[in-house]
Amino acid sequence: MESDMVLRLIVGLALTIGILAFAGRRMAFLVKLARSGKPASGRLTDPTARVEAEAVEVLGQRKLLKWTIPGIAHVFAFWGFLVLGATILEVYGALFISDFAIPIVGHWSLVGFLEDLFGLLVLVGISIFAILRLRNNPEKRGRWSRFFGSHTSGAWIILFMIFNVVWTLFLYRAAQYNTGVFPFMDGGAFVTETVASWLEPLGETANEWLETIGIWLQIAVVLLFLLIVLHSKHLHIGAAPVNVFTSRRPNALGPLLPMMYNGEPLNFEDPPEDALFGKGHIAEFTWKGYVDFMSCTECGRCQSQCPAWNTEKPLSPKLMIMNLRDTMFAQSDYLLAAKGKHPGLGEFDEAALNSLSPEVRAEVERPFIGSREGSEHSAEDGYTFDGHRSTGADLAIIDEEALWNCTTCGACVNQCPVDIEHIDHFIDMRRNQVMIASDFPTELNGLFKNLENKGNPWGMNASDRNAWIGEVDFDVAVFGANGEDTIPADVDYLFWVGCAGAFEDRAKRTTKNVAELMHIAGVKFMVLGEGETCTGDPARRAGNEFLFQMQAAQNVEVLNEIKATKIVVTCPHCLNTLKREYPQLGGNYDVVHHTELLNDLVKAGRLTPVNKIDKTVTYHDPCYLGRHNKIYTPPRELVGATVENTVEMERSGDKSFCCGAGGARMWMEEKIGTRINQNRGDEAIATGAKRIAVACPFCSVMLNDAVTSRQQEEGRAVGVEVVDVSTLLLNATKS
Amino acid sequence: MKIAVCVKQVPDSWAEKKLRDGDAILDRESVEGVMNELDEYAVEEALKIVEANGSGEVVVVSMGPDRAAEAVRKALSMGADSGIHLADASLAGSDAVATSYALAKVIDGRGFDLVLFGSESTDARMSVVPAMVAERLGLAQLTFANKVEVAGGSVTIDRVSDNGIETITATLPAVVSVVEKINEPRYPSFKGIMAAKKKPVETLSAADAGLDTAQIGLGAAWSKVDSFAARPPKAAGVVVQDEGNGGIAIADFLAAQKVL
Repeated sequence: MESDMVLRLIVGLALTIGILAFAGRRMAFLVKLARSGKPASGRLTDPTARVEAEAVEVLGQRKLLKWTIPGIAHVFAFWGFLVLGATILEVYGALFISDFAIPIVGHWSLVGFLEDLFGLLVLVGISIFAILRLRNNPEKRGRWSRFFGSHTSGAWIILFMIFNVVWTLFLYRAAQYNTGVFPFMDGGAFVTETVASWLEPLGETANEWLETIGIWLQIAVVLLFLLIVLHSKHLHIGAAPVNVFTSRRPNALGPLLPMMYNGEPLNFEDPPEDALFGKGHIAEFTWKGYVDFMSCTECGRCQSQCPAWNTEKPLSPKLMIMNLRDTMFAQSDYLLAAKGKHPGLGEFDEAALNSLSPEVRAEVERPFIGSREGSEHSAEDGYTFDGHRSTGADLAIIDEEALWNCTTCGACVNQCPVDIEHIDHFIDMRRNQVMIASDFPTELNGLFKNLENKGNPWGMNASDRNAWIGEVDFDVAVFGANGEDTIPADVDYLFWVGCAGAFEDRAKRTTKNVAELMHIAGVKFMVLGEGETCTGDPARRAGNEFLFQMQAAQNVEVLNEIKATKIVVTCPHCLNTLKREYPQLGGNYDVVHHTELLNDLVKAGRLTPVNKIDKTVTYHDPCYLGRHNKIYTPPRELVGATVENTVEMERSGDKSFCCGAGGARMWMEEKIGTRINQNRGDEAIATGAKRIAVACPFCSVMLNDAVTSRQQEEGRAVGVEVVDVSTLLLNATKS
Repeated sequence: MKIAVCVKQVPDSWAEKKLRDGDAILDRESVEGVMNELDEYAVEEALKIVEANGSGEVVVVSMGPDRAAEAVRKALSMGADSGIHLADASLAGSDAVATSYALAKVIDGRGFDLVLFGSESTDARMSVVPAMVAERLGLAQLTFANKVEVAGGSVTIDRVSDNGIETITATLPAVVSVVEKINEPRYPSFKGIMAAKKKPVETLSAADAGLDTAQIGLGAAWSKVDSFAARPPKAAGVVVQDEGNGGIAIADFLAAQKVL
């Protein structure tokens, strides 16, 4: 027995030291790689929220559980691994002392029971995963599988390794039971006992050998698993908790991050020589970006909700992140040699560059963003939708077409279980394309010029901003008309009409509705009239941060000067920018969306819907009201108060499907695949609702186009109308 | 290859414009000024020629009040190398003839191989300044180009006219005006905007440019505005309600308008 224990110890420790040496090297490499990123600021502020995120999202698995079955399977696997941590302790103990038990709790039946239970649940979990992978096989389902482009063979290896962890666990435990050294001889470990009953007939010597071999196998499998994890997409086991801890709290939606220089917001008036403007190379990303890339588990939840991917466009948020990760690894020699000193703006760290092998050097100098037409993964229509850098290696790494497909709807960010900040990366790359490369869809030229010269995306004259006032039969207070230089104290709200609200016909109707409803309810409001300009949302989301900063600075100056406090808007994009982005420039206002204000007025009895509308209504959540600003209930309550019947679309609430206009896509042509607005319009029509209620001027235009085209081309959707929630309320309120 | 591009700051093309009551000159102060859009095509073409040529220099030339410097800066942010801004109170009210005189004086003797213009300015819309400048400089004029090729000491353009496209070649130096179909002007990158702040702009007074003040300004203008009036507001249209006789009513209306 003594010599057997020595052999067990020597082999066990040799395995451990051998494999851990490799694992340690890899870990050190990964940490150094992450640290080679550019600085990211504010990633450790508000530690309470971070600890909470860790509890809710990591331990509580909240985002995974948005999808019930895969979520539960992952809970089993995740909690299984936490609980089975105790068995790792036990197996190493058993190297030294054959009847080792964890101090104090080590013989409790409950502990033995939990270990066995979770061992079993891990098996259940990986079985579910296997079934999901078979049913979602990308080889059969193509781009409609969420695993399209993911490393599926790697995933199968992981599942197989987890299976190996579990069976070797039960093998040595059952043998321990039979040789009498098992810590839970008094019961609880029900799986172990069952397996032991199968092994028992083999006899004592065999069981003694099985015990030792089982322990070696368990140690070897666990360590090999660790090594595989460190070299695969399964890296998320280590990276995801770090990523969640350092993620934007409460989430990476709503405001975009300002551009930073050495931890300070970049001064666009006089930028430092070496400041970067967006991301034009993998070496320009921050360490947080690198941890994002390492965390991606290729699960495809992002892609399954993406409006671009679902309408057969090149962009998949998953493939984009995978592509960035593969690039990070392919260029890691450079990243490590440059140590964050990559100058950017088309320049390289020469010393680092010269230290590279010719292959890596070619990779580093490869164009980063550009056309990928002609890659091996080209679709039949000539466009690419691959995230695989390995093909078309002479082409640019990031497909510009995919980059501009993004509507910034936030579905990917909202879904991502490991809190990857997709939109921030896409916008950073757009910033480089606009401000440095000057290479972007030509349609945006017109948008930028209109914003610069006219302060609105349509190029209308500022003098026409008040045109709607002439079309209502009550008085509207215009700031400055009576010589005010600040907003009078008796004014409840500054009504920020917005460019759409002033110039676009459908949105103008909403403006007039909201003004009339406020008038009826006795809410005193005032408009800025010609003093208003675009908030800068489309410029910012198109990557033109410089233009956004100019517009935002101008608006913040005006709003602060007139001492604006409470603002009501009809456009969710204005809401997001005024409420969530202007604080970055020193503008802090209490901003509400008209659906919130009107809902409060109805609840307070200041507006009374008397004629409920006798039509079924479905409500479409605008991305910038819902996902980005979490306003889901007020518009629904308002719709509920004005109509008899409501019906929900399948994709609603935080799973709402974009209308296609966000991210400045409103001003770009949609040339590839099917149309996003049509996809959403068809879903709304399919509910059978006769009214599609919207709460955003852009959703209104997009969905109205979708419904009209079905009516005109196919004679379908007869009698269906797209209306703003305020129209419903006004119709119901007026008798 | 040294190219001059003449650019003009104009009141925003889509804004409502007013003439000043006193002297009937366009009121530039009340409207946002922008670089004449057609001149953007000329700047783009100049940059393209230099890029294709591998070397060269693009100089922006503008005549206008102080704030016309913004138009020069805009062209520099697109990528032009330097600017010349002719600004003098005595130039105010200059017509096309006087403008061509002033511009020709500035351009002459600086060794330009090519002088580019947009085909017209969106405020005055006369399209004559390029031709007049060519005449004053004694150079060939190749106007309304939608394609420009420079090779071996000569320039060849496709000239768009109502009758079709003519191909015209002239030896350098020459004056060329371009139409908006010729290219897609680039949007200045932020890098370009920053770089433009440091590029040299030579500001000239009338005296610096050696102008004879008798030939410039409102007083020297060959054309004169006697009177002007605001365009009458659009009258409301006639709405014909169809009460069974809609067709007849429309026919009567059209007959009354002498359409039928």
